[in-house]
Amino acid sequence: MSELIRKFDSAQEIAAVARRLRARTLEQELTPSQVIEILERWGESLRGPGIDAIPGVPFLKLWLRRGTLESIVVRELGVEGLRGEWRAEGAARLHAFPLGVVGHWPAGNIEIQPLLSMTCALLGGNTCLVRIPSGLIGEVQTLVERLSGVADARVLLERLCLASFEHERADLQRAMAAAVDGAMIWGGAEAVMQIRALPFPHWARIVVFGPRLSIAAMDGASWSAGPDRETWCRRLARDVWQFDQQACSSPQVLFLERGAGGDVAEFAATLAEAFKEENRLHPRQSIHPALTSAICLARATWLLADADRRALFPATPDWTLLLGSGATIPAPTQGRTLSVLLVDDLLEPIARFDGMVQTLGLAVSDEAKEVALTTAAGRNGVDRIVKLGRMHVFGSPWDGMDLVRPMVRLVRHVPANAD
Amino acid sequence: MNARAEQVEEQIDALLTARPFSLEPAEHHARVLRVLQGELAYAAERNPRLRQYLEAWPRNYRAAESIADLPYLPVGAFKANPPLTLVDPETVIHTLASSATTGQTPSRVALDAPTSRRMVKGVVAIASDFIGSRRRPYLVIDSPETLAALGALGARAAAIQGLRPFATEMVCCLEGGGDAGQPRIDEARLLGFAEKWREQEVLAYGFTYVIWQHFIAPLREHGIRLRMPHIRVLHSGGWKRLQDQAVTRDAFAAGVAEVFGCSADRVLDFYGMVENVGVIYPDCEYGNKHVPAFAAVIVRDPLTLHPVEEGQQGLVQICSTLPTSFPGFLVLTDDIAEVVRYDGCACGRRGLSFRFVKRVPQAEIRGCGNIETTRQRPSAVPASDV
Repeated sequence: MSELIRKFDSAQEIAAVARRLRARTLEQELTPSQVIEILERWGESLRGPGIDAIPGVPFLKLWLRRGTLESIVVRELGVEGLRGEWRAEGAARLHAFPLGVVGHWPAGNIEIQPLLSMTCALLGGNTCLVRIPSGLIGEVQTLVERLSGVADARVLLERLCLASFEHERADLQRAMAAAVDGAMIWGGAEAVMQIRALPFPHWARIVVFGPRLSIAAMDGASWSAGPDRETWCRRLARDVWQFDQQACSSPQVLFLERGAGGDVAEFAATLAEAFKEENRLHPRQSIHPALTSAICLARATWLLADADRRALFPATPDWTLLLGSGATIPAPTQGRTLSVLLVDDLLEPIARFDGMVQTLGLAVSDEAKEVALTTAAGRNGVDRIVKLGRMHVFGSPWDGMDLVRPMVRLVRHVPANAD
Repeated sequence: MNARAEQVEEQIDALLTARPFSLEPAEHHARVLRVLQGELAYAAERNPRLRQYLEAWPRNYRAAESIADLPYLPVGAFKANPPLTLVDPETVIHTLASSATTGQTPSRVALDAPTSRRMVKGVVAIASDFIGSRRRPYLVIDSPETLAALGALGARAAAIQGLRPFATEMVCCLEGGGDAGQPRIDEARLLGFAEKWREQEVLAYGFTYVIWQHFIAPLREHGIRLRMPHIRVLHSGGWKRLQDQAVTRDAFAAGVAEVFGCSADRVLDFYGMVENVGVIYPDCEYGNKHVPAFAAVIVRDPLTLHPVEEGQQGLVQICSTLPTSFPGFLVLTDDIAEVVRYDGCACGRRGLSFRFVKRVPQAEIRGCGNIETTRQRPSAVPASDV
């Protein structure tokens, strides 16, 4: 274990660290602009063979850019908020202050998620206690080591504690929950429910980014022919490959709208080529045997269920395209297994969404159609509607929620001499 | 029966009559490959959905030069309801079900008369190589209720019946079980059998956990010893339930040997599954499992699905020429095994030797990506509350 990630064995240690972090929050005010300056330097330092191999690093670098972060802070806290100043609101004025210590419980499958989560709280001026899942310690350590090397990093590092302890240590989970003023919880249903049940103080603000899945959709003109088809297929392959299709923003199904005389077999062949190429560029280094079994089973059950179905896959478990029709979302397999379903109208599957779909990645040529689809998707629980190829681009709002504002208090000052 | 089916039948019979562990590996591979290709073509004729699957396979099975290139079904495909079959329903004489634990769906395979006949022949050929072909008294460490089901046979019943050709007489020494609760030892029957055949070569069989939990444990508790030094105890069914109780293979064999008063090397574990009907994999004296003439085993790297090298572990694919009533020719299991050698086990049996390692552990779902497609909401307020 490095010094950057600290292993905890007792509740007392966690409480002591939280006290130190809270004192730090009060001692030194840090504006979002100051935080962004350091984060941008960190983002620029993230390159090299050891770094590039970590899944999600391109998105982390994009996230850490000044242009990305400033626009988020301005949208959520206003221009004055970026500079840590008061902003006028009628006769009153508002100022964002940190909650204090924010606890982070990231999911265990996204290498960069602990860092994305903590940056949201840092932008609000908070200090952070981040539990690093055991499977991500190596990657997080590598990335945070780069932060420690940039100018003025100490200002941020003093506001951070990256914590490691066994998931099963309920006493430490309780201690961490009891010590924080806010919490950002990410992950699967079981993990989220367990963490939400911890004894947080009654004042703690809790935001949950729970389990979701995502869907891609293309209208007839986009998939039927032309040079656009290849481009869209490459974008979709990138979205599937990132995070090995295990993220909430990973597309599990592609709905194709009939029309424009497209040939599904031709499209599938183009998509298969894009998958092959993405696999050549980003081959798996390892796989859980249970995922291999699940991929093989998905291929067989898909084809054995209906003689009209088709599938394309190599002899390896690298990728799978399951081809058919219908507006129902099949149970996702993950592991780069994409169901491709023909529908008469993209509104059919969207009408069946019930809040479980987080992101809808669209390739639609008709603007009016896109507006109609977007409105229907929003009404049916989708929180992000983006262009195919950008399904994982982390931004605010995420899951329909702001990322910085939930972890600040907006203090309202009505001047004594106001009318 | 069409010409293709007849040809396949002849080829299977030829493999069944060969000495099970004597074929030179290249000849074995070539003969099994040829039969499996014929069986796949037959299966494609009989089942259009299976044909669809075979045609989607990235390699043409008709032109394959290696068994490893042939299309295989994952074991989960046999959980389908109705079961995957290649014969008309009226020709099915038994449906065999795996021993699924509570909440799991069992695998089911349909047996017609020819497949059932080959199943018996296969088990007899393999078991004879390990325990000899002589018939002898057969002690079943299970209850008559396990055998009672007609038509639908459980895995335990099928395994018990599979060894029946070795029996001069068969005695079940447990009673109850199933709906009747936990099985109990029928002490009078057991002690009578032990007394009668004390000096004879006797065969005993039971599921591993049944032997341990419902036979060895109570006998040890009551200090009963059976003094049957010439007994051969075969067991199968897997170790999961005993692993949960931290019972090792050695502790199991020692416990069984202690109660029967025999040496531990007379306790023989074998690996088998309903989807691989008629093929069992007993441990040889060097602790390895071997593949008979009418079958094949491939251990595949989970990352590439290519066959692994000697000394490496991977997912077990079982291949059998025996079934023609269901497509159990090539089945990728959820088990992990290690290839010991591709030939040359010191026991003298030719071909692949391997060791079962464990079941594939379930992958932990630990991310924000979901595999449920709808939100499970509590049901509506009951009418009585409105």
